[in-house]
Amino acid sequence: MKILVVEDDAEAAQAMVRGLTEAGHVVSHAIDGAYGLLEAQKGDWDVYVVDRMMPRLDGIGMVETLRKNGDQTPVLFLSAMGEVEDRITGLKAGGDDYLVKPYAFAELIARVEALSRRRETGGVQTVLKVGDLEMNLIARTVHRGTTEIDLQPREFQLLEFLMRHAGQSVTRTMLLEKVWEYHFDPQTNVIDVHISRLRSKIDKGFDRAMLQTVRGAGYRLEA
Amino acid sequence: MRLPSLFRRTPFRLTLLFLALFAAAASAILAYVYVASATEAQAQARKAVEQEHGTLSAIFRERGPDALNQALIDRILSGGNFLYLYMERDSSRITGTLGVFARDEDGGDSAEVLNASPIPNYTGGDVWSTFRFTDTDADGRVVRKDVYGLQTTLSNGQMLFVGKDLGDTEAYLSRLTQALWMAMGMVLLLGAGGGLLISRNVERAMGRLNTVVTAVQDGDLKARVPVRNSGDELDELGVGLNRMLDRLQASMASIRHAGDAIAHDLRSPLTRMRAKLEVALIDAESGKVDGVDALQVALDEADALLKTFNTVLAIARLQAAAGRVPDAEVFDAADLAADMAELYEPAAEDKGLDFSAEIETGLHVHGARPFLAQALANVIDNAIKYTPTGGAVKLRARRRSSGEIEYSVTDTGPGVPEEDRERVIQRFVRLDNSRTEAGSGLGLSLVGAVMEAHMGRIQLDEGPGVYGGFGPGLRVALILPPASAA
Repeated sequence: MKILVVEDDAEAAQAMVRGLTEAGHVVSHAIDGAYGLLEAQKGDWDVYVVDRMMPRLDGIGMVETLRKNGDQTPVLFLSAMGEVEDRITGLKAGGDDYLVKPYAFAELIARVEALSRRRETGGVQTVLKVGDLEMNLIARTVHRGTTEIDLQPREFQLLEFLMRHAGQSVTRTMLLEKVWEYHFDPQTNVIDVHISRLRSKIDKGFDRAMLQTVRGAGYRLEA
Repeated sequence: MRLPSLFRRTPFRLTLLFLALFAAAASAILAYVYVASATEAQAQARKAVEQEHGTLSAIFRERGPDALNQALIDRILSGGNFLYLYMERDSSRITGTLGVFARDEDGGDSAEVLNASPIPNYTGGDVWSTFRFTDTDADGRVVRKDVYGLQTTLSNGQMLFVGKDLGDTEAYLSRLTQALWMAMGMVLLLGAGGGLLISRNVERAMGRLNTVVTAVQDGDLKARVPVRNSGDELDELGVGLNRMLDRLQASMASIRHAGDAIAHDLRSPLTRMRAKLEVALIDAESGKVDGVDALQVALDEADALLKTFNTVLAIARLQAAAGRVPDAEVFDAADLAADMAELYEPAAEDKGLDFSAEIETGLHVHGARPFLAQALANVIDNAIKYTPTGGAVKLRARRRSSGEIEYSVTDTGPGVPEEDRERVIQRFVRLDNSRTEAGSGLGLSLVGAVMEAHMGRIQLDEGPGVYGGFGPGLRVALILPPASAA
């Protein structure tokens, strides 16, 4: 995947470039919004990772310009400003996701990969398929092989998110944000318990477990 | 050249402006009074002349020229302020206080017709005229008088003029004018003086405000404007300024307090982390461990630190916002409770707790949903944490009889002894420096800050009593004012 990192903090940028490269991506770095715009025009990028606050042209300005020029590449905003209104400003400017600094690296990679995947599956789907797991979004039914699996509404949403990001790590924070739409850290393991309930429904009685725990990151649904 | 400083002051300039406006208005009034008085005087003179002329004409009609002559002589002798002239057909004088017009311009008599002749080409009929003549007064001084009068031709061809000395009116008008001018002069004088006085007062009051503003600029947040309770707008401004400064000072204090708390909350985990890293370094150097475990521990500590840091920041921000929650909106409180029940129910059951929710519908609250969600989550979290396996946790959302919206979380844990409840609430409400363990304490402080920002309150009660060998439990209620019917 080709990723453009636009970040004025050289050290942070270096760590990001290294980490994303090690995760198997092609990464370039621009030191501010103005250079970011130049770089963005040069190549065919899969994801932009943009810091909100930069000298010259800040992240908001840069992304607004990109969107005005018709560039629809997914954008992940990085920001030290984590208030609700900051998030809203970022998303209004054309950002697709918003990650508050400081973040765990696993969180960054998971979100970047989730964004690129989102683009690939742009069309309206009615059926999601991962391995022998099949979800019908219209009938709201789930089958594994020939077995029908009965899910609560929230479990259905949770599984849908996991299936849309099958093969990728998703973090607990991502799940709480995208499935429950809350932006806080629960102190107990609330997400883990939801996952284990879901796991008992889709994996119990089958010879292979699809819903994997990724150490230090979160979960991954494997085909 | 600079203007004298007085002219650059707003109150004085305003005073000048009003004086100018007033002078213009006074001039207009003066002109009106003058014209009205003059017109009125003329009308009165005309009426008097008409009446006198009528009386004399009647005497002539009824009793003839001799009677008229006699009447005129009587009138002239008895004084009075009419002027008469009784003339022959050829304008020669028969009787009268005036000389013959036109023909007798420089005659020895007292008549002097200045405007050539008031009725120079008199051909008959009723003709009104104004002219000036020279007379001597009782002391023998020469005076000039304006006369306004009516001349008619009698039935035998003789002519009769009756006029009235306008001198009185003229004098009245000139006195009036003088009085008006003097009044205006006094008004201007008093106005200018008053303006100076007012501008000096305003200046002094402004000076007091300015002193405070300058003091605050120089960093003295304790400076306050002295208030005289006169209730005027400058006083109000002072009160407003003071209130603003109070608020500012409180905000600053709470930020400083939050800073202290952050320092406190971060120091111990940082110390722990440092110690662990140091031990790991020694161990790694002596080849005992490879350091990976120590790094993992340090990373976990760092994450915990960040969490603490974020919470303290959120608390400080809420406290600084004091009553003005960011992004406040009216939302369904029942919906939030249902969401939280759904989120936490598996975690509670995972721990072997009986989790239940009882939620009324149609509860509306004005506030920031994310913050209230977090507050409620923290309370539920706490209940789950402190309730032993086999216990129960119950979430309720209801409308109190007072109309307030109440979230309550009841657990069957050890509870809080009654005498400690107030202290616990204080801990909710304030960042408490005596707190030793970060985490739950801080989470409750956040609940306190959220409630404070929403004008709500926290209430602690005993739980359901002994339950499954534990108890008496704790009931934590978050009470919020209902959304005003908007």
